[in-house]
Amino acid sequence: MEAIKEAPIPAMDSLTSAMKNNIVPNQEYLLQGSVLDSAVEVLLHRLRGLCDNVDSGPETFHDHEMCFSIRSVTPQPLTLRVRRAIDYLDMPYQLRYIGQPELGDKSRPTILRNSIDVATTPTIVDFLTEMGFRMDFEYILRGYMFRKGRMKITVSKIFKMMVVGKPAPESVDPISQSYLVELSVLAPSNQDAIAEDMRVFAEQLKPLVHLEKVDYKRLTQPPL
Amino acid sequence: MGVTIIQQFPMKENRTGAQIIEFLTKRVNALGAKQCGTFLVDCETYASIPQLGAQRTLHVFHNSEQPASVFAILDNGTGKTVPVVADALFDLLLLKMSSVYTSKKSKVEIRGPRFELNDFVIKIGAININHNVKGIIVEAEYRPCVVFGLCWDMLREFLQGFLGSCVSNIPPHYFQNRMNDIFQPLDTIQQYLDHITIYRKATGILQQYNTNTT
Repeated sequence: MEAIKEAPIPAMDSLTSAMKNNIVPNQEYLLQGSVLDSAVEVLLHRLRGLCDNVDSGPETFHDHEMCFSIRSVTPQPLTLRVRRAIDYLDMPYQLRYIGQPELGDKSRPTILRNSIDVATTPTIVDFLTEMGFRMDFEYILRGYMFRKGRMKITVSKIFKMMVVGKPAPESVDPISQSYLVELSVLAPSNQDAIAEDMRVFAEQLKPLVHLEKVDYKRLTQPPL
Repeated sequence: MGVTIIQQFPMKENRTGAQIIEFLTKRVNALGAKQCGTFLVDCETYASIPQLGAQRTLHVFHNSEQPASVFAILDNGTGKTVPVVADALFDLLLLKMSSVYTSKKSKVEIRGPRFELNDFVIKIGAININHNVKGIIVEAEYRPCVVFGLCWDMLREFLQGFLGSCVSNIPPHYFQNRMNDIFQPLDTIQQYLDHITIYRKATGILQQYNTNTT
């Protein structure tokens, strides 16, 4: 028989203390780049050599991502992303909040953005819709995932969906002739040392791919 | 993980919640149950802001029996409810929604002792709404079975054995269309919500409601 345990701590209290102790992984360090389809094999070969999962080979993934937003009194809408694996239907869905990216100055090697990643049941899509969220866009991501210590490297191809809500292979179209390459770490606050590790790793991938701090603001504004 | 049913125990006017819990504790101890810690179920309710149109209500639950999960039940105001079970960080994400969903400041907590008796888990809790005791809730779980319809008769007899006639012979309303479904932790939470809704609507001592259900 189990011994008498202490009284359970209310969930909000344990979350607050986890936040205070900086153990909640709520920040993402990120570098991005891209390679042409014709060059992807060389990059994959290099990553196979550099990364941890050498024996098993890279892990493949095939995901469907939906972007939802809700407008409130503030001009900036709240955006949430839902991601699900198409190749593993019994996996939980991932609900994700991503904050504004901070580029920082030249001394900061990576983009830093707030990120809250939550596994949920598949009802989340219906749940958000009934909450008043609207789906802005959706797409398919297919590619490879590598690990190097705490770092995650994904090489993925983005497909647009010709039919809303139908991710079947015959109704998707590649968005470009290139692959998106992302190097990221999800960590608690104030772990800036990891950004330096990422910079070193990104150096090792040159000149196959240049991973950089991509400035989203410059992408949306036409050049002067 | 088994089948859990939740039962209200009538409040008596001249007794406090703590006294009733003590009284029921003696009864389950007499059956041979051993206390194994305490339990806590809490519920916070949020309402959508008027700019979103028809008011929607969001109930967010935690249960010490499933400490890594958050249970959220959304009522869209037109009779449709959508539940979601998520990781604990869902609470952090909810803070981001505070401009569209605001807390109704009506926190509900059910806490009390947790007992084990062979295949059964029994929990006796006082339901607190904004720190006022509103009633007593008894939860009984039969762990070896996951289909309500297969163990309801036994659970009913078990509960009647120490709670008496307040346990109805008719299955709880929540299970009437779910007799043969596989029981999930969310089913426990849905039952709590049904009971909380009744307590929130009622004022004072719920003698009348309790006598109606017997």
